[in-house]
Amino acid sequence: MKALRTVFALGIDVLVGAYVTSACLFIIMPAMISDSISIPSPYGAISVSIGSILTLLLSVGSKVSLGRAVLYGQLPTGRARSIQRHLAWITFVVTVISGWIVTEISPIEFFSGQGLAGAGRIFGALFTPEFDIIGEALSAMMETVFTAFMATIIAVPVSFVLSFAAARNVMATDTTGRIVYVVLRALLNIMRSMEPIIWAIIFSVWVGIGPFAGMLALVVHTIASLTKQYSEQIEDVNDGPIEAISATGASRLQVLWFAIVPQCVIPFLSFTIYRWDINVRMATIIGFVGGGGIGYLLTQYQGLSRYHEVGMLVIIITAVVWILDVISARVRAALK
Amino acid sequence: MALLSVRDLRHTYPNGFSAIKGLSFDVTAGEFLVVIGLSGSGKSTLLRCINRLLEPTSGSITMNGTDVTHCVGEDLRRHRSSIGMIFQHFNLIGRHTVLDNVLYGTLGRTPAWASITRKFTKEQRDRALANLDIVGIADKAGVRADSLSGGQQQRVAIARALMQEPSILLADEPVASLDPATSHSVMKYLERINKEFGTTVICNLHFLSLVRQYASRVLALKSGEAVFEGSPLEITDEWFRTIYGDDAVEVEIR
Ligand SMILES: Nc1ncnc2c1ncn2[C@@H]1O[C@H](COP(=O)(O)OP(=O)(O)OP(=O)(O)O)[C@@H](O)[C@H]1O
Ligand SMILES: [Mg+2]
Repeated sequence: MKALRTVFALGIDVLVGAYVTSACLFIIMPAMISDSISIPSPYGAISVSIGSILTLLLSVGSKVSLGRAVLYGQLPTGRARSIQRHLAWITFVVTVISGWIVTEISPIEFFSGQGLAGAGRIFGALFTPEFDIIGEALSAMMETVFTAFMATIIAVPVSFVLSFAAARNVMATDTTGRIVYVVLRALLNIMRSMEPIIWAIIFSVWVGIGPFAGMLALVVHTIASLTKQYSEQIEDVNDGPIEAISATGASRLQVLWFAIVPQCVIPFLSFTIYRWDINVRMATIIGFVGGGGIGYLLTQYQGLSRYHEVGMLVIIITAVVWILDVISARVRAALK
Repeated sequence: MALLSVRDLRHTYPNGFSAIKGLSFDVTAGEFLVVIGLSGSGKSTLLRCINRLLEPTSGSITMNGTDVTHCVGEDLRRHRSSIGMIFQHFNLIGRHTVLDNVLYGTLGRTPAWASITRKFTKEQRDRALANLDIVGIADKAGVRADSLSGGQQQRVAIARALMQEPSILLADEPVASLDPATSHSVMKYLERINKEFGTTVICNLHFLSLVRQYASRVLALKSGEAVFEGSPLEITDEWFRTIYGDDAVEVEIR
């Protein structure tokens, strides 16, 4: 266990060295000298190796180790601490400079006359929306809101059942339980880290472009998110009632239902309403990639450069999202 | 024959801490046994081994001649439902009504589905009301449990335990979060259940004055071992220092 920790910390130290040297060498230096310079790879490789060996030596030979600091909060004292602080600052500054270069931040373009004129045109169009499409826009918006609603409603019972199997305090009573818990948690994390937009692309190929594809994408993501939130709530319940209900001779199912569920219903409701709120926003974005609804309409008008129509759609989206946000916040506050 | 018989009981928690280190004692039906000892001496662990919320590491627990030390499944449910338990923090389901909380005392003998669909029988409901009447709060049957005061909540918890028609009632510091007057009222209900219904009570307590008043027998624990067993009247100053340490001073609760 201790050996494993040391290896992890050393790994991070080596990565920091390699990262800082390669960022300097392949991003910052080329940008400073000229755009086209390239370092012959043998030299590059040698320099990066030197960088990583340096941090490795620092970590092994002295107490300077960002890995130990990040993973276990172990900080050295005295001189080593000051060196370590400098190392952390160098890493940070190198990252900011590299980030600036990579994202092509350019104040010149931001404030150029031509650019500003273009932005002005579009803003002007957005503020003079085309009201003729209001019927079409509202019906697309309705589609989006219902997509989000159905996705939430379908996901809730699934998440409710899964969340018990994903709660440590419910499952950690025997080995099988622990295995189910670990596997389910891992699956949910993978499901959640795949953005809904990716699921939407998958499902729009599977069931065809339209609200159904968008809904399926949201269902998957909602199940993953709600199950995690629900199960964390379950892990947070007070043990007292669980003990008391168990002591009456209740079965495991009865303990879940009579001791755990009553402590969770209100937070569950609150999470669910918030999820629906989030899903309306996500359903809009998902529309861009074939999930139907107002997002899909938006990409069509944007592709035709019809910015007055786009303006109308943006106003409706903003208004509906804002209204739902206010309502959901109110309801959740009332539930507390 | 003893109602409950504990032999060389040991309990070690998963983290390796040994909380009970070889306890043997008998409990006869109708006793009011009080367990005392410093914080961490293993009182709660002992009670939880008796009703098998915890599984003993070794030794044996026999109740009515049946070995329950490692029972599982239906046997475990039956064992637990024959023992009522009340807690320092009452452990009611706060959002549910007082009557519902009392009805939950029947869960051990009700099939899961019948209880979830709330098919409690008329007989069970009547008995729940009668038990609430015994602890003097039948008028609160319809209110949410978390709207009651601490003393009232503990009485609901007693009614819930009575629903089990237990042969033993375990009480883990039942008055530790109550004021002195309320403490006595709750202890009086336990005493009454012990005297009138003949229910055996095993109760953890901190205050010796309460021990002297209510216990028929005392078991003192120190670091998971028995250091004293006998009548409350036999607890002399010397015993007191053995149980609680040389620097301890007795505090009274009246
Ligand atoms: N789940 C657990 N895991 C590990 N150790 C535990 C656990 N529960 C209790 N212990 C330890 O076991 C010992 C006995 O605990 P127990 O709760 O039985 O004591 P107690 O006599 O009831 O004390 P108190 O008067 O504070 O309630 C304590 O030292 C405690 O720290
Ligand atoms: Mg205790």
